[in-house]
Amino acid sequence: MLEHYLPIFMMILGGVLFGIVMVKLNEWLGPRRPTEEKLTTYESGMEPVRTARERFSVKFYMVAVLFILFDIEVVFMYPWAVAFRELGIIGFVSMTVFILILLIGLFYVWRKGALEWD
Amino acid sequence: MIEQILHSLSLFLPETTLTVFFCAAIIVGLVAGRTSRASLYVALIGIALATWFAIQQAGSSEGIFTGMVVVDPFATFFKLLIGMSAIVILLFSLYSAEVQSTAHRHIEYGSLLLAMTLGMFLMAGSTNLLMMVLAIELTSLSSYVLAGYTREATDSSEASLKYIIYGAVSTGLMLYGVSILFGLTGATDFYNINRALATGSVNATALLVATIMIVAGFGYKISAVPFHFWTPDVYEGAPVTITAFLSVASKAAGFALMMRFFKTCFIDANALGLPAGMWASLQGFEWNKLLAILSVLTMTLGNLVAVWQNNLKRLLAYSSIAHAGYMLMGVVVLSDKGLAAVLIYFIVYLFMNLGAFYVVMLVANKTGSEDIDTYKGLGYRSPLISVAMVVFFISLAGIPPTAGFIGKLFLFAALLDAKWIWLAVVGALNSVISLYYYVRVVRNMFLRDPERNAEPVVFSAPQVVIVLALLIPTILFGLFYSPIVELANASVVMFGMK
Repeated sequence: MLEHYLPIFMMILGGVLFGIVMVKLNEWLGPRRPTEEKLTTYESGMEPVRTARERFSVKFYMVAVLFILFDIEVVFMYPWAVAFRELGIIGFVSMTVFILILLIGLFYVWRKGALEWD
Repeated sequence: MIEQILHSLSLFLPETTLTVFFCAAIIVGLVAGRTSRASLYVALIGIALATWFAIQQAGSSEGIFTGMVVVDPFATFFKLLIGMSAIVILLFSLYSAEVQSTAHRHIEYGSLLLAMTLGMFLMAGSTNLLMMVLAIELTSLSSYVLAGYTREATDSSEASLKYIIYGAVSTGLMLYGVSILFGLTGATDFYNINRALATGSVNATALLVATIMIVAGFGYKISAVPFHFWTPDVYEGAPVTITAFLSVASKAAGFALMMRFFKTCFIDANALGLPAGMWASLQGFEWNKLLAILSVLTMTLGNLVAVWQNNLKRLLAYSSIAHAGYMLMGVVVLSDKGLAAVLIYFIVYLFMNLGAFYVVMLVANKTGSEDIDTYKGLGYRSPLISVAMVVFFISLAGIPPTAGFIGKLFLFAALLDAKWIWLAVVGALNSVISLYYYVRVVRNMFLRDPERNAEPVVFSAPQVVIVLALLIPTILFGLFYSPIVELANASVVMFGMK
């Protein structure tokens, strides 16, 4: 039974090797003429003030999580909106229930103060 | 198709009720204000209603939502059991100092208890691998948060984190096992898996590996050795109410799902020449030997380690591991009698274990400690509560005339009936070990003098009523046990199995 998986293992091996070889080839063959401008973080952008590896407020995390939550939910609404006529009343009722549940979530987040920065 | 779904919805009423009340608990809690108990009451009403609707379904036996879930006497029994323990836990919570001191988070407490109950209701009825995993996850995710509910206490957060890590690993193992089983049989439906296995064309080694991995998921839910490592820490760190809920309802749901999985997937429905009520496993795949090993390990380790515990919550945690081991013996024997014995044990276990945890909670409310030394001389400071504790403990040890004895009696009878003598002997020896650590607490309460100038401990009337409500069945079912035996015998019927 295991021999059936041989092509898959070879595929994985091939994929990993291809990635490594390409990166290394690029490093080896490509010309490198570094100047001071090229080595900055944003070549034509702002001068970095200090290191980015520092602790930042947990509030960003909250906003990010909420964004992902409600963003994913919109993903479900797009196909529904496209097929709205075909789905008819059942689609409408199902989506209403879904949006109502979302609204409860939003209400919860709001009352718990997660939308306020301070 | 639509008619089928609508018909399924009518049989899905208990679960729908829980879902609606879950939303209601959030809205009511938010409208009522920060320190209101409203969410707890909404949760109480919701669970009581759902349990009532589940009781109404007694006798019906049908697969719904194209065979994802079934409603049958077996599922209804466990819904009743889970619903009852959830109601008791909510009543505990109203008098728990830990829960009441965090009034601003009652919304989460009430709604997550509802979500957890919903997950366990689904676990009781799942007959599809996907539904099984989903139901376990719903239960687990809610319980992770509840275990860390008192987040101001460090050990509560620690408990939650440990619970998540162990949970994630065992769910991962289980999912892998499920995927192997699906690969072997090409089906996710339990009945179709049974049919595919019955053809006898499945690789036995691969099937064994898949089963062991799936058992890891069940073993984690019922805290069987070697998947028990989270249990003592989580039981110690979580609020006592949640600990009690995990030790009874979560374990019951895990057992329900495990017994259904093994019976519907691996039992030969067409086996000939068997005595009535006995089962035969498919193609000589002896999964019950696997469970027998787990059972022996679980009860022996639980009891031996419990002997050394000085914290009552940890002691009860190891005791609950040992009880999972006893109950596994009933699954090993492959008979209706063994299954009925597990159900009887669960009814009994509900009252005695919740009772023991409740007394621990009451004493911790007053003294702020769960250490065994706080119980010194408690028999003189609070006679009623101490006597209740003695009854719960001797019932857990399995001494007549308490209900715990009846539970053990039927388990051992089923074992001897199926000629599992050596397992019965191990079980009996374990009961003797367990007697030691239960009696150690009793000795501290009655045979040790209290600290000097110790005040009598007084409990309020509702608290005493709850203790009595758990104490009376513990004694009553020890003497008058025919109703629970009849209920259990009527509840071993699973949909689609003879």
